[in-house]
Amino acid sequence: MRKTFLSQNPSVLIFIALLAVFTIVVTLLSEVTGVGLISTSFVKTLGKTLCLSLVAIAMDVVWGYCGILSLGHFAFFGIGGYAIGMWLMYARTEGIVMTSLASQPLPPTPAEISDAIGNQIFGVVGSSEFPLIWAFADNLFVQLLMVVLVPGLLALVFGWLAFRSRVTGVYLSILTQAMTLALALYLFQNDSGLRGNNGLSGLQNIPGFEETSQAKVSIAFFIASAFALGAAYIGFAWIVSGKMGSIVQGIRDNEARVRFLGYHVESYKLFIFTTTAVAAGIAGALYYPQAGIINPGEVAPIASIYLAVWVAIGGRGRLYGAVIGAVFVSLLSSWFTGGGAPNVNLGFYTIQWTDWWLVLLGMSFVAVTLYFPKGIGGLFDYLVRKPS
Amino acid sequence: MFRLFSLAVSFWLLLSSSLFAQSLQDILQTHAAEVAKPSRSSVSVVLDDLVASGLPQALPFLEAWRDREIVQRESDGLFFRSTETAGEVQLLDLDSGEMIAAGDQDLQKVRPNGGVRRAIGDALVQFQLSDPDIIKRQAAVDAIARSMDASQLGPLQASVAGETDANLKRVKQRLAGMLVATFGETPQDRIAAIEELSGDLSVDTRAVLNTILATNSAVSETLPEEGNLAKVLTIGEDISPEDAYSRLVAENLAPAPVSKVAIRDALLAHMDGGSVGGVPVSELGSDVTRARAYDRLAEDGLVPPRVSEAARTEAVAAHKFYLEYVESDPSVTDAARAALNGIETSVALSQTVDLGLDALSLASIYFLAAIGLAITFGVMGVINMAHGEFIMMGAYTGYVVQQFVPDYTVSIIIALPLAFAITFAAGVAMERLVIRHLYHRPLETLLATFGISIALQQLAKNIFGTQARPLTSPEWLDGALVFNDVIAISYIRIAIFVLALLFLMVILFVLKRTRLGLEVRAVTQNPGMAASMGINPDRINMMTFGLGSGIAGIAGVAIGLYAKVTSEMGADYIVQSFMTVVVGGVGNVWGTLAGASLIGFLQKGIEWLNPSNTLAAQTYMILFIILFIQFRPKGIVALKGRAAAD
Repeated sequence: MRKTFLSQNPSVLIFIALLAVFTIVVTLLSEVTGVGLISTSFVKTLGKTLCLSLVAIAMDVVWGYCGILSLGHFAFFGIGGYAIGMWLMYARTEGIVMTSLASQPLPPTPAEISDAIGNQIFGVVGSSEFPLIWAFADNLFVQLLMVVLVPGLLALVFGWLAFRSRVTGVYLSILTQAMTLALALYLFQNDSGLRGNNGLSGLQNIPGFEETSQAKVSIAFFIASAFALGAAYIGFAWIVSGKMGSIVQGIRDNEARVRFLGYHVESYKLFIFTTTAVAAGIAGALYYPQAGIINPGEVAPIASIYLAVWVAIGGRGRLYGAVIGAVFVSLLSSWFTGGGAPNVNLGFYTIQWTDWWLVLLGMSFVAVTLYFPKGIGGLFDYLVRKPS
Repeated sequence: MFRLFSLAVSFWLLLSSSLFAQSLQDILQTHAAEVAKPSRSSVSVVLDDLVASGLPQALPFLEAWRDREIVQRESDGLFFRSTETAGEVQLLDLDSGEMIAAGDQDLQKVRPNGGVRRAIGDALVQFQLSDPDIIKRQAAVDAIARSMDASQLGPLQASVAGETDANLKRVKQRLAGMLVATFGETPQDRIAAIEELSGDLSVDTRAVLNTILATNSAVSETLPEEGNLAKVLTIGEDISPEDAYSRLVAENLAPAPVSKVAIRDALLAHMDGGSVGGVPVSELGSDVTRARAYDRLAEDGLVPPRVSEAARTEAVAAHKFYLEYVESDPSVTDAARAALNGIETSVALSQTVDLGLDALSLASIYFLAAIGLAITFGVMGVINMAHGEFIMMGAYTGYVVQQFVPDYTVSIIIALPLAFAITFAAGVAMERLVIRHLYHRPLETLLATFGISIALQQLAKNIFGTQARPLTSPEWLDGALVFNDVIAISYIRIAIFVLALLFLMVILFVLKRTRLGLEVRAVTQNPGMAASMGINPDRINMMTFGLGSGIAGIAGVAIGLYAKVTSEMGADYIVQSFMTVVVGGVGNVWGTLAGASLIGFLQKGIEWLNPSNTLAAQTYMILFIILFIQFRPKGIVALKGRAAAD
């Protein structure tokens, strides 16, 4: 089986090899080893990009392979971030509060501790009560479980409802977008219990590792992200090859025909939808400790559409295409918006890329959709001629 | 009161005739002693004469007198108004207003006491209430309405008869009615006034009635025989046991409970080396151990003992908690209660109507935003994520036109067709360049139009900046149609509603009664067959898409009048617009109407349940829609038969 799998997917080996080399090179050149050619902040950017690649792979599986254009996968990504963010914020605040209470003459009671933590966390939204959803915030294990369970369950319920009523195509896209919008609006409320507009912050400080330098922490997260990406790549490559993959791609090409052949289409779609949602949640949980802050704006419907843009530009229906799209567009985007691109002086008007980058992105996206439906990944087809 | 009344009337008569050509200084000199050293009993003579004189300079004198700015020159006893400019005291002649340098003359300051100043203030109110200038009269009435007081009733009633402005007279009568209801002398007067008020839905009437119905909360061991009892409070229902007990504490009927903070502070205060009350400090990390240590301290008499839960329950049970009206006469409070209940019922009724109107206008906004989409998405099946940006383009067109045409009415008349033309052209261009190539790949249409959407949004940001641009409505759209104090709807909302209706009719007409509409429906149902009948599907698709986009442009102008014009305004409507079309039922203009109504009324309904939180309302509405689509995937108005095939 393993042999067939690899021979079917030569890209897996190449990808894993490249990822390993990349990870090792970055680690060696980072500030941890003392070389310092790659700054800590750039290591974080690279780590974040790996996480984005992971969610892009998930998007590619659900859209490029199964034909479900989900505009909600970045919401699952955000949920994962919030789930881990709750623990990070709680544990860190607890540490700070315990230190400040320890200097007092009387040892604090549990109620006093919880009050003080609540004040620290929810002071910005005018509250000090812990909402019910924070019940397990002190428990890393439970919150890690939530990273997986909450997006998974949400996707399961939502997908079950939607697929059962045979909502397909653009309707499904709009429905997933509505779900994302509802989630974002919910998070924007101050009484949602997740600090409303402020979001969760200070996530780059990992409790228990206060003494460790950010350079080390960021390298650790970078490596963890690389591992997650590699594992997800292998996992998803395995899912989309073989019999299961054939059925899933059959659903994309002609759902009715697959149903007539006797397959329970809804179960397959639900499986793909849920699995990719879980992967998106894990990607989010790895992303936000590197980003340091999460707020509801990150979950807004536009983010999920950008995800689709990455995958489309990178090339749908091939996992490495999604990675290429995510890396290429997100790095290019931060290069342009960060002022890295030189301004173009036309004499009568100066094109400042910070302003015009989105116009360029939008137009190139139209061009890719119209003329290069296979995306950047499609270029590889010219390099690798398959024996027919 | 009669004195004040006659005083005001005589003032009025004299003001018009101004018989005596007396100077103010003369009058003051006649009463020199009373002016210089006024007392509550003697001042009225001066005031009467001043009012009777009808001199215009009496008003500023009264103000200066009240504000303690009047001085008496000791040499000749004349009165002046003193002002201080740049550290130098100057005297103003009271009649001519001439400036006289004070020099080092002997000046005696006139210092009226509080009672006198109140009397002067009352006289001032009369002056102002009967001032020939309507703006001053209005201001005086507003001042009374802001802080009602028994002493204002007389002057106000006195000024009603002489009021020349019919509007202000009504306001004065209404205000007098409120004053009588609150401060009237006999209960009969007050009840009559209260009954007069009962048809009035305004907020200040309700405030007056609520003031009459103000209650004090009280507690005693048995209910009092006397007094005007409003309500006996039931523990656990009207008042929580904790609140009841703290009220007992406030009334000194029970010992104060010892809070956790108090325990902590007491322990800190009596810390003795490493332990408090025999308990080591390191063990004091829980409420139980802290309580034990505190009890030990209490046994030693160092701190007051804790009040046990049982003692508190017992104390609460032993007392009656009730509300007592401040007003002692039950007949007045009964009348006020009845009037208020009546008003509240009609207010609730009016609010429901108002909510309905609000919902209707929200529904028409959604309808306007979605109607163009109903054509491109509903009829043609093309997902156009840039639809919101067409709305934005229409709104910016209106803004740009207003920069060149200053007359708002004309500019709107120009902007509407211009917005249509521009977005029509944009729509046609987009259809030709992009969408035409993607008719068989709907998901990719979504993505391509999304690319156009972000490009257009950023382009608008580059051209017009990020701040909101105003699109000012013509004057005749300002203001609101007011039915009563609760029901009101702004003219802009009415205009949007009318525009929405107009659009509905135009689109139905175009689709059902014109050659173009026939061809559109033919191409939608079966392009191949339509083509063989001599219809050019390319042209029809182009025209249809242009029509839908053009309508979005006009909607943009309308929405821009109602909300601010920003580059993101389209994005705010896009998801709701798609919802509207999907919920209503794709492929049917009536469906869009149904969808917009459902969403508009639903959102307002949820907002009404939880008025503080519009975000929550939107969240719940979207969740409802997601569920709704589960049960009616084809929308409210589902097409049947062949046309329904995807």
